[in-house]
Amino acid sequence: MNHGQQSGEAKHEDDAALTEFLASLMDYTPTIPDDLVEHFLAKSGFQCPDVRLIRLVAVATQKFVADVASDALQHCKARPAPVVKDKKQQKDKRLVLTMDDLSKALREYGVNVKHPEYFADSPSTGMDPATREE
Amino acid sequence: MTNGGGEGGSQRRELHGKRSVFRGNDFAYALARMAVAQICESVEMNSYQESQTREGVRFSSFQETALETLTDVVIQYIQNVGKTAQFYANMAGRVEGNALDIVQALEDLGSGLGFDGAHDVEHCLADSGVVKDIIRYTGEAEEMPFVYSLPPFPFNRGKRPAPSFFEIGAEPPDEHIPVWLPAFPETKMSNGSEETNVDKIEGDVGSRENGPSLTSMQQSVDVDRVKILKSMDQKEVQKPTEEPEGNPFLAAPLWAGEKNVARVFFPSELRKEEISINHVPEKSMSKSYHIPALEAYPPSDKINEKNRLAETQDGDERNGTRTQRGLLRFKIETRKASLCWKRNQCLDEKGWFQEDGDRREKKVEREEKPESVDTDVK
Repeated sequence: MNHGQQSGEAKHEDDAALTEFLASLMDYTPTIPDDLVEHFLAKSGFQCPDVRLIRLVAVATQKFVADVASDALQHCKARPAPVVKDKKQQKDKRLVLTMDDLSKALREYGVNVKHPEYFADSPSTGMDPATREE
Repeated sequence: MTNGGGEGGSQRRELHGKRSVFRGNDFAYALARMAVAQICESVEMNSYQESQTREGVRFSSFQETALETLTDVVIQYIQNVGKTAQFYANMAGRVEGNALDIVQALEDLGSGLGFDGAHDVEHCLADSGVVKDIIRYTGEAEEMPFVYSLPPFPFNRGKRPAPSFFEIGAEPPDEHIPVWLPAFPETKMSNGSEETNVDKIEGDVGSRENGPSLTSMQQSVDVDRVKILKSMDQKEVQKPTEEPEGNPFLAAPLWAGEKNVARVFFPSELRKEEISINHVPEKSMSKSYHIPALEAYPPSDKINEKNRLAETQDGDERNGTRTQRGLLRFKIETRKASLCWKRNQCLDEKGWFQEDGDRREKKVEREEKPESVDTDVK
């Protein structure tokens, strides 16, 4: 990553954007409290006395959760509504975050939270004896 | 990051009721759950209807399982960011993380989904698409601080160190135990009389997850302290209550020249100046004599002394050499016949190497003179 001297000014600009953002973070209070984020970061070995970095991680996490939640919301809305009744029913569907929607949303992020559709006595229940594997 | 390793893993999880995230920190977990719920609640999706009115659709409630799963994921996300950032910091030879380390970690975690400029390997980190995304997010999303005001997180910070011997006022049982070490906990023999003191529990039991064990431990420490104090009153403590030296290993380092340290004596100087480290009584006269003899045979002096009582000069010389802390110099010179004879005899016995000679000499010495004055041979 040798940008060299020619892009020195550009680097200053890039740095400026990041530093400005870090400075502005002190005004923005992320939803996840700083102590909590610091606790979990310290648990994995990352210790830093700078609060701005903690807030950066908190904001990044908040963005992550917001993205996942919005994807789940889309999945939820995209599901065909079970409107069977002909009554004047407002479309005030109470949206509930279900495991189904969440697993679909998280799937794109590489997190596999697939629930088994049914519970069986053993993993090989219902399979052919020939293909039974443990 | 696969969660639970597929169906089998999730099944096992459901059966055992455990999470992949360590649930021991229930306090932190509960806080994380609340924060995640708050964020999800604020996620609003705008939908356009026929009347072209924007309708913000939000989640009104959650499935509890879904919320817990999402909390697990978020906790692991934070931990992953921390781990990766620390990894990058260590790669760069640093101990503390950097803003750029975090950006790199976020890029790593976001590379699965992709972000702007992910293809450009050589781009500047500060200009990363991840940062831009975050900046955009903070610009758009509404600010929403955490609902509850948190007390300062007392995670394992309320643990008081065990009181030292000096603080208790008790004497360490053995001499080899310094005063500044924590006192031994006494085995509980009778708790009946100290019931009242059990209530006096220090209020610093912050970590609730360690609740029962910590309180009981502090109870026992208080009980023991009272016991020790009582025993103190009964028997007299001989040891004078000196100033607590404190832990010498934690003391601040000394500046150069602050403390008088004994000079290091070089053997070469001794030869000229005859500075004696361990005083030898008959040493004073040796200055005037040049010492041609083997300086490496101090023990032989004793034997020679014993043999030749008349020749004190040489004895002094030898004593002078003796004080020179065992040099490894072999200067062999011819001496008088009688001396030579003695010396050669010694040499034949001992050989030419000082260490072996010394050892043998020491043995001989001990055999002959068990009460010999201890010299500074070695």
